[in-house]
Amino acid sequence: MTTSVSIDNVSKEFSGTTAVDSVSIEIGQGEFFTLLGSSGCGKTTLLRIIAGFLPQTRGDIRFGDKIINNVPAHQRNTGMVFQNYAIFPHLSVFENVAYGLKVRGRSRGDIDREVRQMLDLVRLGHLSHRLPRELSGGQQQRVVLARAMVIKPDVLLMDEPLSNLDTEMRLHLRSEIRALQQQFGVTTIYVTHDQEEALLISDRVAVMSTGKVVQLGPPREIYLQPSTLFVASFIGDNNLLPAMVEETRPDGSLLARLPGGQALIAHAVPGQKLSHGEACTVSLRPQDVDLKQGGPGGLEGVLEDIQFLGNTIKMYFSLGEGKPVVVTLPGRHDVTIPTVGSKCTLHPSAHAVTAFEGVVSQ
Amino acid sequence: MSSVATAPSPLSRLLSFWPIVTLVALATSTFLLLLPVYNIVGLSFSGQEGGAGIFENYIMFFSEPYYYRSLINSFIVSISAMVLALLIGVPAAYIVSRYDIVGRSLIKTAVVLTFVSPPFIGSYSWVVLLGRKGVLSQMFADVGISLPSIYGAPGIIFVFTLQFFPFVFLLVSSGLKSIDQSVEDAARNLGSGEGRTFFTVIAPLLLPSITTGALLVFIASFTDLGTPIILGERFRVLPVLIYGEFVNDFGGRPVLASTLAVLLLIVTTGALLLQRRLAARFSYATSAIRPLTLQSPGPLKRFLASVFIYGLVLLALLPMINIVISAFLKSNGPVLVAKFTLANFDKVWRMADGPLLNTVMFTTIATAMCAIMGTMIAYIIARRSGRISALLDTVVMFSYAVPGIVLGVGLVVTYHNPPLALTGTPLILILAYFIRRLPFSVRSSVSSLQQLSRDTEEASINLGAGPGRTFLKITVPLLSMAILSGALLTWSNTIRELSATLVLQSGSTTTISVEIFNEVANGNFGTASALGMTLIVLTFLPLLLLFTFLGKNEEALV
Ligand SMILES: Nc1ncnc2c1ncn2[C@@H]1O[C@H](COP(=O)(O)OP(=O)(O)OP(=O)(O)O)[C@@H](O)[C@H]1O
Ligand SMILES: [Mg+2]
Repeated sequence: MTTSVSIDNVSKEFSGTTAVDSVSIEIGQGEFFTLLGSSGCGKTTLLRIIAGFLPQTRGDIRFGDKIINNVPAHQRNTGMVFQNYAIFPHLSVFENVAYGLKVRGRSRGDIDREVRQMLDLVRLGHLSHRLPRELSGGQQQRVVLARAMVIKPDVLLMDEPLSNLDTEMRLHLRSEIRALQQQFGVTTIYVTHDQEEALLISDRVAVMSTGKVVQLGPPREIYLQPSTLFVASFIGDNNLLPAMVEETRPDGSLLARLPGGQALIAHAVPGQKLSHGEACTVSLRPQDVDLKQGGPGGLEGVLEDIQFLGNTIKMYFSLGEGKPVVVTLPGRHDVTIPTVGSKCTLHPSAHAVTAFEGVVSQ
Repeated sequence: MSSVATAPSPLSRLLSFWPIVTLVALATSTFLLLLPVYNIVGLSFSGQEGGAGIFENYIMFFSEPYYYRSLINSFIVSISAMVLALLIGVPAAYIVSRYDIVGRSLIKTAVVLTFVSPPFIGSYSWVVLLGRKGVLSQMFADVGISLPSIYGAPGIIFVFTLQFFPFVFLLVSSGLKSIDQSVEDAARNLGSGEGRTFFTVIAPLLLPSITTGALLVFIASFTDLGTPIILGERFRVLPVLIYGEFVNDFGGRPVLASTLAVLLLIVTTGALLLQRRLAARFSYATSAIRPLTLQSPGPLKRFLASVFIYGLVLLALLPMINIVISAFLKSNGPVLVAKFTLANFDKVWRMADGPLLNTVMFTTIATAMCAIMGTMIAYIIARRSGRISALLDTVVMFSYAVPGIVLGVGLVVTYHNPPLALTGTPLILILAYFIRRLPFSVRSSVSSLQQLSRDTEEASINLGAGPGRTFLKITVPLLSMAILSGALLTWSNTIRELSATLVLQSGSTTTISVEIFNEVANGNFGTASALGMTLIVLTFLPLLLLFTFLGKNEEALV
């Protein structure tokens, strides 16, 4: 039976480095949960702790309400999908998938039936007698997925399962994984450094940085309301402009002065207190800007460069000083694009500008 | 509700698969290696009469010329053989690896053949050729040339050089393979000629191979027993002295034998430690994307290179050719008559259910034990890091450093008396072979495991298979090639073992190598040759399998 997972104040120290730093997460039964973060932030380490391959230095892992800290890896009943497939090269597709069932002492009839069912689900029924080296990367990864799912794991663990595949295969398998997960209703912990993948596939996402969870929430919340400067810079394209707090207002908004001399109104991120005269960073998503000629409250910019990407048009505006601001427009037929060198006024949409403590290192 | 098992107690964790295997491995190596060595060290510090100082034996050794001369002699022959092996091994490897002379792979096979043939057979063969009544000596004497004597230090050095230069040859060959052509091109481009390029660019990159080869020649020469017994006459080296002290009245002077054995062990261990240090120090960790290419030398260079390499190979093969021929010749004691006969093989046939069976049986059992235990130890060393696994690694390395004669003496001293009176039993021979050759299996599996991702094994654990089951169902199949090649190497190296066998065998557990030795001692060269040929075939067959079917290179031998 699939189970909820709670990670309670878990830390892992290797000699010298703290790979996982006081992480606490509650994952609900049947939830698709993603650990997202850049290379070396401790995602794999945390996943391997949950699978039982690494003992944590501190903290508890619970499946349901049972503490499993001392349960050895082979008795945890998790299904793991590894980054490098970790397919058994000497066993056929069928034997790979049957492996976990055999270990569990199931009857041959059961094994035969369940493996076939599972292979059909991942559309590999016709390849069941092949050896792994006769399969493509995508097919191998589906074998591994079937192998992990067929044992009806309490928790499904996936460590960047798509990172070795080409783009097309990746998009394809991504939806297949999500569909299977929904069908089985299995609690899933998914690791990736690909934010688009994380936003698309997950019920909830934990963004990790240097071993810590910096923000946890549904994809939309992570994207629209980043709680730290790190998340704002890590998730999605963003303009991060260094600024100075010139004026704070009772409603929580503030006036931020940019190095070029222009100012704009921003909202301090909840939980951070910005005071007058403090250096800060304002964030503004490229798609949250309207382009007009003049008008109050806008930023004056000169269009420096245009990149045509098909469904979007990316424009770089110079504000006089500092990095240019990126603005994107949908690539519709009726959109009017200013000419390079022309002056425009950039109007951020309401609540789209957020101010964070600190300065991004460029 | 979850189907997760409850946490096991600490005790049951300790009683799980790998901790038990580790314990068994440690216990085995303690009883078969550390305890025997500990005992001979202990004996060497015990006074022969009560009340004497603990250094008494050593003081005696270093004050009696009869004893300390043997140590000096050992150094003389080993260092000379080492230098000569370098002088012929390095150029030979360079020529075969770089020049497109005819029959390159045949030359390599010939070198391997000389390498795996038991040294003492070669020695006696040289006696037949170059001894006082030797075939060649007489031939040359008839035309008025007197060849130098094969006896004494020069003869031993000569045979050691020809027997052990393959260490240098094989290691340098494989070293040359890891040098990229661009390195040489760059030097040539900067105006450096071939000789200069070799000494300034290639040779420095070969230093790890050269130093390792040199020290292996040194150790092999320093510990060899058969050749100096046959050729030494009054020139005695340390292993001969140990053997003499040991057999002259059986078990009578184990204290003295132990003292000599400790000295031998100190030298080999020191040499091995030095080898590790030097190899690490000179290692540049190069790897060749485009290995050095073959060259077509000019006519003069080609001629000289060919003369050198064919001459060398012929010289090295000569004793073996001699054995094959004389195996089919009628013999009259030590004098061979030029008449074809199969009578010599009668004796081999009569040994079929004695020494021959013993040899094959002991070797097979020891090889199987090595393969099983070696693979598990390799797994512990490669996969379970920690102090105990490092300790196991060191112990296995150490078993490589303990010479056969030393191990033999140690085992006799330890297991001579009841309740564990094992000397003279088949078991003690099998155990001795096992512990001596264990490093082959371990090394073969460790290097294979290091290239194997852990993920595959973890996937199996994750699917619910315990550590033991995962090892058996996943690790072993994936390592099968490494295990097999380790086993074939073990077999080839075990079947020709002489020095530990001489000390540990009793009449009923004698092996072919000992029989050859006895036949040689009794001057029955025809029989010795027939037996020798049988032994060479048994040694070489698995290697042929290794090279042809497992795609291993000759370099896997060292
Ligand atoms: N066995 C180990 N010994 C020492 N340090 C380790 C070990 N395993 C991981 N680390 C360190 O812990 C940190 C986190 O590693 P981890 O593998 O969890 O990163 P990750 O988020 O999975 O990165 P990636 O996206 O590159 O896979 C890194 O700094 C890494 O160097
Ligand atoms: Mg990782």
